[in-house]
Amino acid sequence: MTYVFQFGIVFDRFGELLEGAWLTVQLAAMALALGMAVALTCAYLRTAGPKPLRMLVVAYVEAVRNTPFLVQLYIVFFSLPQLGVRFEANQAALVAMVVNFGAYATEIVRAGIQSVPVGQIEVGRALGLKRFQIYRLIVLFPAIKAVFPALASQFVLLLLGSSVVAAISAKELTAIANTLQSTTFRAFEVYIVVAAMYLAIAVGFRAFFAAVYWFVFARGRER
Amino acid sequence: MKFVTRLLAAATAACLLLGLGIGQADAQVLDRIMKEKKIRITAQVDSAPFGILDKNNKPTGSEIETARQIAKDLGVELELVQVSGPQRIPALLSDRADLAISSLSITTDRAKTVWFASPHGALSIVIGGAKSVNIKSAADLAGKKIGMTRATLEEQEVPKIAPPGTNIVFFDEHAATQQALLTGQIDAIGCAAFLINDLAKKAPDKGIETKFTVATAFYAVAVKPGNYDLLQWVNTWVFVNKLNGVLAKIYEQNTGVKLVDLPTL
Amino acid sequence: MRTFGANEFLFILTAMQWTALLSLLAFAFGGLVVLAIAMLRISKRPPLRLSAAGYIQLFQGTPLLIQLFLVYYGLSLFGLRLDAWTSVTIAYTAYAAAFLGDIWRGCIQAVPREQWEASRALALSYFQQLRLVILPQAVRIAIPPTVGFMVSLVKATAVASIIGFVELTRAGQLMTNATFQPMIVYPIVAGLYFTLCWPLSVWAQRLEKGMRVGNALGTGT
Repeated sequence: MTYVFQFGIVFDRFGELLEGAWLTVQLAAMALALGMAVALTCAYLRTAGPKPLRMLVVAYVEAVRNTPFLVQLYIVFFSLPQLGVRFEANQAALVAMVVNFGAYATEIVRAGIQSVPVGQIEVGRALGLKRFQIYRLIVLFPAIKAVFPALASQFVLLLLGSSVVAAISAKELTAIANTLQSTTFRAFEVYIVVAAMYLAIAVGFRAFFAAVYWFVFARGRER
Repeated sequence: MKFVTRLLAAATAACLLLGLGIGQADAQVLDRIMKEKKIRITAQVDSAPFGILDKNNKPTGSEIETARQIAKDLGVELELVQVSGPQRIPALLSDRADLAISSLSITTDRAKTVWFASPHGALSIVIGGAKSVNIKSAADLAGKKIGMTRATLEEQEVPKIAPPGTNIVFFDEHAATQQALLTGQIDAIGCAAFLINDLAKKAPDKGIETKFTVATAFYAVAVKPGNYDLLQWVNTWVFVNKLNGVLAKIYEQNTGVKLVDLPTL
Repeated sequence: MRTFGANEFLFILTAMQWTALLSLLAFAFGGLVVLAIAMLRISKRPPLRLSAAGYIQLFQGTPLLIQLFLVYYGLSLFGLRLDAWTSVTIAYTAYAAAFLGDIWRGCIQAVPREQWEASRALALSYFQQLRLVILPQAVRIAIPPTVGFMVSLVKATAVASIIGFVELTRAGQLMTNATFQPMIVYPIVAGLYFTLCWPLSVWAQRLEKGMRVGNALGTGT
């Protein structure tokens, strides 16, 4: 008895997989935008905020970094409703992704900020810039530039990690794949195709980040 | 250059996976089982009353007991292969388990992929929900969010009767689906009738009740296509244990319901 | 109605050892495979270098869940009859090797070029250069990010729950189902992961601070 691969069945329903892939991309992109907002705020608080807030950010970052994303997802989807906070599956997925990426990005951005020489900040102060201006103009830009590759790879990890949100009925790529495999029973074909699609999405995002880096940080701009 | 690398990588992997896709299953599985003195059977422990964990967190339930009985009658050791619902068939096809005994309802679709023995149990698929949710018939499902588990009979049957506007969502396993119902993430659940009774008993404060029956079905042991010898033995086993009442006893003890007359496949 | 008590907590705690064991096995075997991959990755022969790069890209570019499924069920398609433990270990070894391979390649390449040149001038062969001069330096650089990766690995084992492998997360899921108290069970599960990961995290950070070589950014996941 040999196993005969039949990819035809998978490609017949490729449209559904593409829809799932689109939701995966949307979720990831939104998590990126919102997560960066969280990260910039938290990184600021972590490096320049009052002590209690600083501790709070540390607790948030460590709590997220030392527990699995899947468990975080279950807490958002299954546990929070008991406290009266209810998110739909896709929202819950997004919330968990933002919380997760936000924590990692906070830590990365913080490292970037601390890599900016103190002298630079003193120069800014000497120029009479306000605290927030210094943060925005002098600290943040070189900091982000320094940690951009780390942020990009963290994002790709989030993108790939998002495959587990299928477990709470969000309808992204892996969820569609699971439904497809349970109705066609061609599990191996479905997952091979889906693996290739994730690879393509990941490569696409990496190219996007490379382009952003080039336009924002590299192209004929000082530092 | 980097992109070319990645492309190459993907292509190589694809070729590897395709090229190696020829495996030989054992010609005589039964012989192997007897020789190894061990049979591997799927165990799904999140699907009461077919498979659950008891107070000491040991697997039990009607399908687990069926598996134990089969191993006993074969005179071999039983290895329970823990699976979640959607993994029941892949586990069988990939030789991870010799038999799938996890309340697999007999359907023509599934029969394209696995071989069924004669049925040894019956179940019905129902829509269930809290008393406060107003569902009396299929038409009331419109506008409601109905959750069910992938790769189940309900996944096939409920969409057929659901009116347009029904929001059907799928989870990867019963554990998650039930949890979604109890935490109010979904309005109603499509599942085996027994499960509703179990939920009503375990979480009385939620007031979960059966709304209406969607379909009834018989479930059976499944083997990987090609394993004639094992299938023949299982069929013989079902025949014998139907007549001597063992099947009925296992079923009634675990479900609390009398077993209906079983047809023969 | 069953409530969350000592029995349930014990069940979860017992499952925690499988999480720990799976992480350790994957790390140990991954570490063996990884050295080979890191060497191939910096090899001067393009086919060797490319195949190692391809392997890393493939495993870093696809979700662990999908890899797990393909390895878990795919291997036996090729006629290999493996038990659940072996196949899950293989899947996580492959995953760990890809990420560690990349980390270690970076560390080997972080050793200044002059070190290679100097050791070549001493008439050492390629492998002698690697073994005697480069690796001892690279290992020092590699330790902090490697410990950091162990944290990722422990967390990554949670994904095995989706294919029904009973480890910490799956045990939590089963207990949620038995007790219907997700608000108690999942935070406990999270707490147990934290007790596994937190010491490793702190250790990695300490090592990193102790080194402070150039770019101090870890490779977290």
